[in-house]
Amino acid sequence: MITQVSDSLYSQLIKTYGGNLPSAEPRSLDEIRKQAFERFKSTGFPTVKNEDWKYTNVQPLISQHYELDAEPSLVAVDLDGANIPQLDAYRVVLVDGKYHAGLSDTVDMPGLSIMPIDQAFERLCFAKYFAEFADKTDNPFVTLNTALFTAGLFIEVGKNTQLSKPIHVIYVSNARQPVFNQVRNLYVISTFAEAEIVESFVTDPQAARSLNNQVTEIVVREGAKFQHYYLQTAASQGSYLNHTEVYQEKHSLYNNYNCTFPGPAFVRNNINVRLGDSEVESHLYGVTLTADNQFVDNHTIVDHIHPHCESYEWYKNITQDTSTAVFNGKIFVRPDAQKTNAFQQNNNMLIGEKSAVYTKPQLEIFADDVKCSHGCTIGQFDNEALFYLRARGISEAQARVLLVHAFAFDVTSRFANTVVREYVEHLVEEGL
Amino acid sequence: MSTKDDELLKELALEEYKYGFTTDIEMDIAPKGLNEDTVRLISAKKNEPEWLLEWRLKALRHFLQMDMPTWQNFEHPDVDFQDISYYAAPKAKPQLDSMDEVDPELVSTFEKLGIPLNEQKVLAGVVAVDAVFDSVSVKTTFREKLKEQGVIFCSFGEAVQEHPELVKQYLGSVVPQTDNIYAALNSAVFSDGSFVYIPKGVHCPMELSTYFRINAENTGQFERTLIIADEGAYVSYLEGCTAPMRDENQLHAAVVELIALKDGEIKYSTVQNWYPGDKDGKGGIYNFVTKRGICKGDNSKISWTQVETGSAITWKYPGVILKGDHSVGEFYSVALTRNKQVADTGTKMIHLGKNTRSKIVSKGISAGVSQNSYRGLVKIGPGAENSRNFTQCDSLLIGDRCGAHTFPYIENRNKTAKLEHEATTSKIGEDQLFYLTQRGIDPEKAVGLIVNGYAKEVLNQLPMEFAVEAQKLLAISLEGSVG
Repeated sequence: MITQVSDSLYSQLIKTYGGNLPSAEPRSLDEIRKQAFERFKSTGFPTVKNEDWKYTNVQPLISQHYELDAEPSLVAVDLDGANIPQLDAYRVVLVDGKYHAGLSDTVDMPGLSIMPIDQAFERLCFAKYFAEFADKTDNPFVTLNTALFTAGLFIEVGKNTQLSKPIHVIYVSNARQPVFNQVRNLYVISTFAEAEIVESFVTDPQAARSLNNQVTEIVVREGAKFQHYYLQTAASQGSYLNHTEVYQEKHSLYNNYNCTFPGPAFVRNNINVRLGDSEVESHLYGVTLTADNQFVDNHTIVDHIHPHCESYEWYKNITQDTSTAVFNGKIFVRPDAQKTNAFQQNNNMLIGEKSAVYTKPQLEIFADDVKCSHGCTIGQFDNEALFYLRARGISEAQARVLLVHAFAFDVTSRFANTVVREYVEHLVEEGL
Repeated sequence: MSTKDDELLKELALEEYKYGFTTDIEMDIAPKGLNEDTVRLISAKKNEPEWLLEWRLKALRHFLQMDMPTWQNFEHPDVDFQDISYYAAPKAKPQLDSMDEVDPELVSTFEKLGIPLNEQKVLAGVVAVDAVFDSVSVKTTFREKLKEQGVIFCSFGEAVQEHPELVKQYLGSVVPQTDNIYAALNSAVFSDGSFVYIPKGVHCPMELSTYFRINAENTGQFERTLIIADEGAYVSYLEGCTAPMRDENQLHAAVVELIALKDGEIKYSTVQNWYPGDKDGKGGIYNFVTKRGICKGDNSKISWTQVETGSAITWKYPGVILKGDHSVGEFYSVALTRNKQVADTGTKMIHLGKNTRSKIVSKGISAGVSQNSYRGLVKIGPGAENSRNFTQCDSLLIGDRCGAHTFPYIENRNKTAKLEHEATTSKIGEDQLFYLTQRGIDPEKAVGLIVNGYAKEVLNQLPMEFAVEAQKLLAISLEGSVG
């Protein structure tokens, strides 16, 4: 697992940060960063020999040169790509990972705090939850992020607070030189609160290459409800490693809708949900539409630790051209998690002549009184269905759009927010 | 779970292993240890040609350089390869011509196991048997009758002597010496096994069968099976295994290679009942086997059926390489684990040819504190146009301390391929149990019925004689396991 030290990014990181990690922060954070950096130093970047990275080769990404911790150049930021028609939301903009007050809405809703993460270090719940969850996994990119993040977002939705409108977080890649961004987020949805966050990833047309290593930790406290959307619409200059770690308390609900569209050259999403108490419900939905030479990898873990929980996961991949889609879904049912109901489905549609799909739906079950199932299919356009539509005067292109819509419908129909749903359906149509 | 269930579970754990006896027989055992001399000794004992010795030595050198894998879903036991004897054979005797010359002790051992070596006693004559005692083939029945049709069915050692050209051509062509660490070990020290060759266009008139028996202490069993179905040939082959009860773990690392040429078909069935260890997980066989077949020619077919009830650890993935166009691969498996048994099994289907089809049905049953894993790979190469795969893997959990796991790898690089995979995990339905008990069937029998029904799809694939045995085996293993 140890990578050669000759990796340019690795040696660059060690050289730059070996002696001085980002500081001017509470003492406790210093210690966490130091330990994480030591851990990263010993593991290095993962290689394809590592089971979790079997199909995902990060070597081409990390053997390039990046500017570390570049100051964002704020010459004209183009946000058009992130605009969701008719979405009424609090807008929060991060340019190259850094919170941009000028472009973000001022939020004066009681019970809701949104701030750059470096201003939240003194908050009680920061100390309580930061690095408590994501760092328990053995993802080297998470330890690297913990050690070196300089920017990010802190959102706390207070007790019993129900947000009147969603929060729209926009990540813009804007730097004119190649950058390596490490963004760190912490979202806390307090007891019996309800929140909806939509996150868009976009690229300014003039931006250079970027490698984005983002970690988001989410705590959904007792009785809280959280609807969470990822809309990956960046351009081909962007490469994204996005790790989301969710911890759920009793009676909570977490829904994740993870959509990736043609554009970014490399995307790796890790979405891990730990059902930390009984009577918890989680839903993970995904639509991935790839084109050109894109590589998109979705790794999910649903960890049932306590009894009487339900999880439901449905991922759809549509691959075009020479693109590759990877899905790896793990469901764990721990020995005490009786009466678990876990469902997982992964459907793939290969359209591209040279496109590839690698999927591994994995179940690990240690309790007997459970209902668990998973299913997985790989197929392509149904020629008979195409014929049926064309025989009725529908053009081939239109027929294909219809069929892809129908294929994605199982997932898109679950979207709680109809405005986002229409936007996603529109993007699917555009991406074909 | 009620106390009654617990009691029944306890009973289940104590269910005896009825093949646990040993046979006192004069043995020729090689000293413990593994090095070039061991390999030379085995090769010399078997009177092997030079090329085979070289082949073995090459494998040994690979073996010594290889590391134990770490990806498996169980703690790999420490196997001291120097503390095993790599050759054990009933004391050498001149070539046997008739039944009367076989050691009566051996004959009675196989009779106890229900394997009649005495040809006259086999009434219908539908099964020809090759009996392998420790590492050496003892007796192959019905050889003459098979010979009339040109079928070669003999021990591996004899094949090396009598048909070296066939052995040389196909040995290691499906499972190379370097495939994995246990295949390398087997290639270096294999002592015997079975060899089958079905000539062009011949439909083998009877089921061929090998019965493996580990008897000696501190030995490992390393046999090698090579089956070749020439163009248009058909053969159905059965394999059964048992071992005495011992406190130490014994290693069984076999290699099976199947080759089906154009229009050829091979059906390979296994009923594996090695000693599983006692209820505390003491003793038992480590069953680390490499099995692979290749559908070399167009329209060929290979089908694996396995019923795995024994062994402390079962670790194997019988696979098929679908190279010929329109070739078919099948895998049917029932794996039952209880007490502290571990099974990490499944299959690999590699689609290379056009219009290739594969079907996987895997049924896992775990009881006690056992761990049962399905691990499978379905790979569609870029040239495998219109290939098709269906996979179903179900797990049944009996008791709340056992585990069931699935690790399916699905890799598709062709847009015209269609793949389906489905898996479920559940326990025996209380409503099903109620339905049966309400009709006066006692809970034990009801569980047996349900499990047999659950495994039916796989058991149906077994030849008649084996299906009955397998059904009984499942019933015995499950007696009293109401969940």
